[in-house]
Amino acid sequence: MKFNSLAFRMFATSVVWTLLVLPLAGWLIYTLFRDDVQVGFDNNLIKLVDGIDVDAMATSGPEPLVPPNRYEPLFEVPNSGFYWQIKPLDLPGARVLTSRSLGDGRVPSPYELKYPSDKTGKRWKNTDGPDGKPIRMVEVVASLGYQADTPRYSIIVAGPFDWIEDLVKQFRARLFVALALAGLGLLAVTLVQIRFGLAPLRRVEQGLAAIRSGDARELKGDLPIEIEPLQEELNALIRSNDDIIERARTQVGNLAHALKTPLAVITNEARDTKSEFAAKVAEQAAIMRDQVNTYLDRARIAARASVSGRATPVLPVAEALVRALERINRDKGVAITLACPANVRFQGERQDLEEMLGNLLDNACKWCRSKVFLSVEAAPQTSRSASRRLTIAVEDDGKGLSADQRARIGKRGQRLDESTPGSGLGLSIVADFATTYRGTIALEASPHGGLRVILELPAA
Amino acid sequence: MRVLVVEDDKDLNRQLVSALSEAGYAVDTAFDGEEGYYLGDTEPYDVVVLDIGLPKMDGISVLEQWRRSDRKMPVIILTARDRWSDKVAGMDAGADDYLAKPFHMEELLARMRAQVRRASGHAKSEIECGPVRLDTKSARVTCDGQQIKLTSHEYRLLAYLMHHNGRVVSRTELVEHLYDQDFDRDSNTIEVFIGRLRKKIPGDVIQTVRGLGYRMSDTPDEV
Repeated sequence: MKFNSLAFRMFATSVVWTLLVLPLAGWLIYTLFRDDVQVGFDNNLIKLVDGIDVDAMATSGPEPLVPPNRYEPLFEVPNSGFYWQIKPLDLPGARVLTSRSLGDGRVPSPYELKYPSDKTGKRWKNTDGPDGKPIRMVEVVASLGYQADTPRYSIIVAGPFDWIEDLVKQFRARLFVALALAGLGLLAVTLVQIRFGLAPLRRVEQGLAAIRSGDARELKGDLPIEIEPLQEELNALIRSNDDIIERARTQVGNLAHALKTPLAVITNEARDTKSEFAAKVAEQAAIMRDQVNTYLDRARIAARASVSGRATPVLPVAEALVRALERINRDKGVAITLACPANVRFQGERQDLEEMLGNLLDNACKWCRSKVFLSVEAAPQTSRSASRRLTIAVEDDGKGLSADQRARIGKRGQRLDESTPGSGLGLSIVADFATTYRGTIALEASPHGGLRVILELPAA
Repeated sequence: MRVLVVEDDKDLNRQLVSALSEAGYAVDTAFDGEEGYYLGDTEPYDVVVLDIGLPKMDGISVLEQWRRSDRKMPVIILTARDRWSDKVAGMDAGADDYLAKPFHMEELLARMRAQVRRASGHAKSEIECGPVRLDTKSARVTCDGQQIKLTSHEYRLLAYLMHHNGRVVSRTELVEHLYDQDFDRDSNTIEVFIGRLRKKIPGDVIQTVRGLGYRMSDTPDEV
């Protein structure tokens, strides 16, 4: 997933939202749960303290009654965490009543510690019990027999607090796991959604790749209505591009036809007449012919499809050219050995490949003794991103060229402006085409004796 | 040698006719594809010069139809379309050679000579028959090293016989291949020219095969 991609945008949005919402929800649920547990616990303590208050204080005697344990068996178990304590506030030294669980231990009175009371007159305090375990206690202050002039007592009920914390802690851990799982699930769903939702775009991408590699002429398939206009526009663009190229090519062809026949007439006429004027006409006509050829070739190259590539299988082109050239050169008896795998494809126009191969083979046939070799191979692919290449080698068994001559011709082929068309090996047009396709051309000595021309071109 | 020129450009057609006649060919000419096809289909030509861009019927179709009906004469395509795809299409349609416009007349003549030679089974540009030697390039005839001066008609006749040496050539065939279609064909003229040739070339090089025609051979006994 690339940083600047639709998928990343959708995924990142989703992640941010999840990271924001899930902890918030977790905190909320946790708080609610904790408060709920707390309230339940507190309500239980209130019930106990009220019961003990009534049992102990509803008396007309001189001191509180020992409340019968009707509420909580754990009051009887020492150090159980459940305690009660009735302590006189106005009679220092008077007897303090406690539950059996508290034994000789005492708990401090929030009233004496000046804790504020809540709306119902109760005071709450979290502290440690006699055994050091945390407890929560509630205290009511009541006077004996509920008379105004009787001594007041602090009635405290405490419950163990640690189990609440354990419970909340446990809940928090479970909640975390559940929310984390939910988060992961959400992300997984987002990924699926992105894959599914963006699948049409992927199809467009594959379609474009197919057009670029020449496997398809236009985008095909049903696309969602959001990107259907894109498909239509692209196809229209491709078609119009093809039309423009085709028109340009036709016009170049027509121009060639329209100019060359009159030039042939002028040339022939001038050669038949012996005069200074005729010689001048012949000379100028020859210049015109060269210029026409040069610029027609350039025009053809300029009319190349630069946007959408086309894949041209090399083998049929090579076979057709070999057939034609062997026929043209059959008096000389030229044998062209062709080695070309069937699956090698040139990334470009068929006609351009024909021009390059045709000119190279034609040269080889001209200069060979009797054998010409044409071998085509796909260059080994180094990595996925690197564009594929193919190499075409044309060799002959003629006399070949010296290193000096090769260098000179190679240079001329490269410096297109100074190359004179129709002269030498006619490599300049091949070099022009090769350059257009970001290919290279190299001249070597062939082991067969003659020249070896190596053309490297993009493969499809 | 009789040749058909199919070319729609009037000036170029005229130039071709004049240059080819001068080179000793009997020239028939057509200005569109249909006419060209008809002539090539019915008349015996030793070589055809065919343009591709023709009115009524394009050159490739003309050529394909000839080959389909088994017309095997050599055909040289002469066209302004010089892309390799055009050349391949032309050769695949059955052409024997391909020349792009503008061209040098000498180049065309050389290629025509080569096609005529090849069609009659001669690899070299010089054809020998006994003491007689024909140089197709320079149109010179020698006998035992001595140059023989021939008129254009005599040269045509001798050249045709030499191209087909060892084979009996009928008078009709000679008439068909030596004169264009507008020529008043009288086979007696052939006998007259044969007689003149025999006077200029010593020995019994040109034999008469009674009832069949003439034959040139370097081994006279074989008759």
